[in-house]
Amino acid sequence: MEIQVRKNILGENDRMAAENRAMFADNGVYVINLMGSPGSGKTSVLEKTMEKLKGELRMAVIEGDLFTSKDADRIAKHDVPVIQINTSGGCHLDAAMVQKVARKMDLAALDLLIVENVGNLVCPAEFDVGEDDKGVVLSVTEGDDKPLKYPLIFKESAVAILNKVDILPYCNFDMESAREDISALHPGMTILETSCTTGQGIEPWCEWLRQRVEEKQNR
Amino acid sequence: MCKECGCGEMNGNARLHFTAKGYTETNVKEVEKSLLGLPGVFHVHIHVHDGETTVEYSPAKTKLMDILGALGKHDIEASL
Repeated sequence: MEIQVRKNILGENDRMAAENRAMFADNGVYVINLMGSPGSGKTSVLEKTMEKLKGELRMAVIEGDLFTSKDADRIAKHDVPVIQINTSGGCHLDAAMVQKVARKMDLAALDLLIVENVGNLVCPAEFDVGEDDKGVVLSVTEGDDKPLKYPLIFKESAVAILNKVDILPYCNFDMESAREDISALHPGMTILETSCTTGQGIEPWCEWLRQRVEEKQNR
Repeated sequence: MCKECGCGEMNGNARLHFTAKGYTETNVKEVEKSLLGLPGVFHVHIHVHDGETTVEYSPAKTKLMDILGALGKHDIEASL
């Protein structure tokens, strides 16, 4: 009987992620991999972040999408360098994709690199792209049951952004329950409540980023 | 985790299914929290009435002894 040995895809990804991590460290750039469902508001949060931190931090964005450059176009309007990765149907970004574009960037000229992953609560959490931290955006329209249903993404993330809180009164999203579940999955995790419509919570999120960038630069 | 695309099919997660003694209506939520708080534990399901317990976890991140230790802190005795 012939036994077929399959390639360890995740092992290869981890190797390339380590290369990316070393490259980012050499250039002193803090990298966050922002994940979440389609429509959770990842790009809107980024737009608000660009507005707030522009002129203060030197930023760039890597935009992951299955198809189109719609999100990248939104970011580009804020005069922030953005590179689009189209995965052509692939459900996540991996370390090789990020490495390919990151090598074309002037990383030494950056403080903060944000990787917006493909909209998906499952697969992106499994792939290290060499980031310093992962973050997850969950909108209140998605339901408070999502943390326990998609535990890995909350386990892996350093920060959870509960977005669209301005429409909380119109959703049956139990904020206390969601916070409790996230804290149970990842004790001590930073949980922020944001609204890109009212601007609520954007400053605490930006302050969290500032601190992470500063910590990276002082390492 | 993702069955459709095959992502994570080699992530090596394990499912533990066992019975345990010591669950009560009052301590079960805390036991669940303790188990879920372990780095590699993704899912916990406990039947209080008969002690049937299911834990899905990544052995690469959490050892069996960690799970037993978390149960032990609540005086739960597991038969594995």
